[in-house]
Amino acid sequence: MSIEPDPPAAIGPNATVDIGPRQISNVGLARSARSAPVRPAPPGLDLGNPLLLPAFWLTIILMGLGAAKVGGVLHEAGQRHPTATAAAIIMFAIYAVPFWSLLGALDYLEREPPALTATAFAWGCLVATALALDAGTALHDIIAKTISPAFAVEWGPALAGAAVEEVAKLLGILVIVLIAREHINSVLDGFVYGALVGLGFQIVENMIYATSAVALAGRGDQIDPVVTTFLLRGFLAGLWSHTLFSGLAGLGVGYFVVRTQRSRPTRIAMIGLALLGAWACHALWNSPFWADGFGQGPLGILVVLVLKGSPALGMILLVVWSAHSREAAYYLHQLDALGDRHVITPDELRALGSGRLRAQARRRASARAGHRAARAVRGLQTAQARLAVALSRAAVAGPESTQADADVSHCHREVLLRRARLEELGHPEATAGNVSAVLPRMAIATAVGLVALAAIWAAIQAIGPA
Amino acid sequence: MGLVPNLAVVAAHPRLLNLIGSLCVGGVAAAMALGLPALDRALPAERRPPADRPYLVGAGVRLLPPEGALLDLTATRPGPRAGAVRFQLGAVRIVVVAGPFSGDLAAAERRLRRKITARRGVQVTGPQAPTSTDAGVPGLSGGYASPGRIGRFQVFLHRGIAVEITVSGAESDLGAVIDRVDASARSLAFRTGR
Repeated sequence: MSIEPDPPAAIGPNATVDIGPRQISNVGLARSARSAPVRPAPPGLDLGNPLLLPAFWLTIILMGLGAAKVGGVLHEAGQRHPTATAAAIIMFAIYAVPFWSLLGALDYLEREPPALTATAFAWGCLVATALALDAGTALHDIIAKTISPAFAVEWGPALAGAAVEEVAKLLGILVIVLIAREHINSVLDGFVYGALVGLGFQIVENMIYATSAVALAGRGDQIDPVVTTFLLRGFLAGLWSHTLFSGLAGLGVGYFVVRTQRSRPTRIAMIGLALLGAWACHALWNSPFWADGFGQGPLGILVVLVLKGSPALGMILLVVWSAHSREAAYYLHQLDALGDRHVITPDELRALGSGRLRAQARRRASARAGHRAARAVRGLQTAQARLAVALSRAAVAGPESTQADADVSHCHREVLLRRARLEELGHPEATAGNVSAVLPRMAIATAVGLVALAAIWAAIQAIGPA
Repeated sequence: MGLVPNLAVVAAHPRLLNLIGSLCVGGVAAAMALGLPALDRALPAERRPPADRPYLVGAGVRLLPPEGALLDLTATRPGPRAGAVRFQLGAVRIVVVAGPFSGDLAAAERRLRRKITARRGVQVTGPQAPTSTDAGVPGLSGGYASPGRIGRFQVFLHRGIAVEITVSGAESDLGAVIDRVDASARSLAFRTGR
């Protein structure tokens, strides 16, 4: 199969790029720039010189203090139970990898700079955790002193714990805005940074919980409390945990940064609303409601875990899906408006907007033309995404921007080179082919998920409580 | 009236805006890390519990507080499945922990010994001795020592609920109150109907 060239005639990899400034300026204007879901960064944007920013130094100082606090806690645990502490650190560090990959897939079209994603993650690991350790304990004690110890035990984690932790994590997203506001180009970017802060927090908090479980078990340097904590907090509670809650707060921050057509009070209210939503989801999860599993034993408790967690998971995923769809539609429109089937075909457009379809396209290439074709498809998809971002930035920069022209030309050449490579391999189009309908797949995924939860619960019961 | 021009000035100077934003973030972080603990410290942590009513430790376990003891509100965690309470009797600290345990009494005693000796510089002194509550629930007791302090521990097990009691203080202080602590331990009552 080959791709029919649209007029003008085929553009080879070394041909002059026929995307002039006037054409660039028209791309992406299908909707008002003010109401577009993406606020493109200026062309050639980098992080600049962060040394000149007060926010950078604040972050450095707080991370240093946080590292000392968190490091001290883990060091003390390591001295008492070295094997169990090492196991907790390794298991939860590995646990972060699939979450990070998932966020990377969500952020595929317009990648966030690694320095910023690492900063967000580190804030969650070090600063938010350290703040929560001090402030959470203090607020719990204040409730115990002013109301009663029983109320603090029952409602402290829902009211105080959730509030302290969500605010501590939100500060990390705000710091990213202060350091590199121009890199938050869509509401989805806010989610990604928020989720990374939450992921860092979740990982370190779980490490501390696991080492505490070892100490509480009182059986010496054994790793079974770590394994139980890993299964319980990593899997049964991990899906609807800090990554998701902070992602929701990040959506509010993303809205504040991107939706500049709205009034400032409205945008600030959205941050408050998103934070309130994150706190509400967290508080529901920590609340003592149905803690006895409706009196139905372990099975009842498992049902309660799902009942408490799944509404937040469903609601937040729906919002993220909507934000992702809007962002993907915006970037895909940049490519579609070129009307060049050498750049992207209609079927490739459909695949490029979805992580699942991109992966399906790579699998299909592998099946039809081998691993090299799969790698070539990956390369083409990356190049197409970069071109879409360059076009969006060029549209904002205007026809006078030579930097924008250079970026677009470079990315366009890359796409054509990747296309030529695919044609050489006999697989010219990176399409996903036929894919099954969404609803049956969702039903199967839900069923598999529930069975997996039940299996993990059974494993925890077999090991015994930590 | 001056607010709008001031905002305009700030918006025109990104670094000033960054400084103000950083101060806000730093201020909230400081309020959390320093302000809340300071407020916590400013509130009294101890309260006198009712002396004539059994106090709920957790997991359905109750005991009469040692006579004259103060309840430490910050280390008291009563819960339906497990719980803990800490009393302060002058310079002597009494910690009672209750929770589910699947082994026998000897295993519960071994677990408590391990917890005690896991603390740096703490050694168990001598073998354990049998004891019991007023209601006849059997237990084991022993002693431990660390530089400058001595301690006693008791552990009871009844229908899958273990109760650990540790008492520590300077030798002279502990000697003066140990009878009251033992009386409190003997008053332990477990939830019926489990």
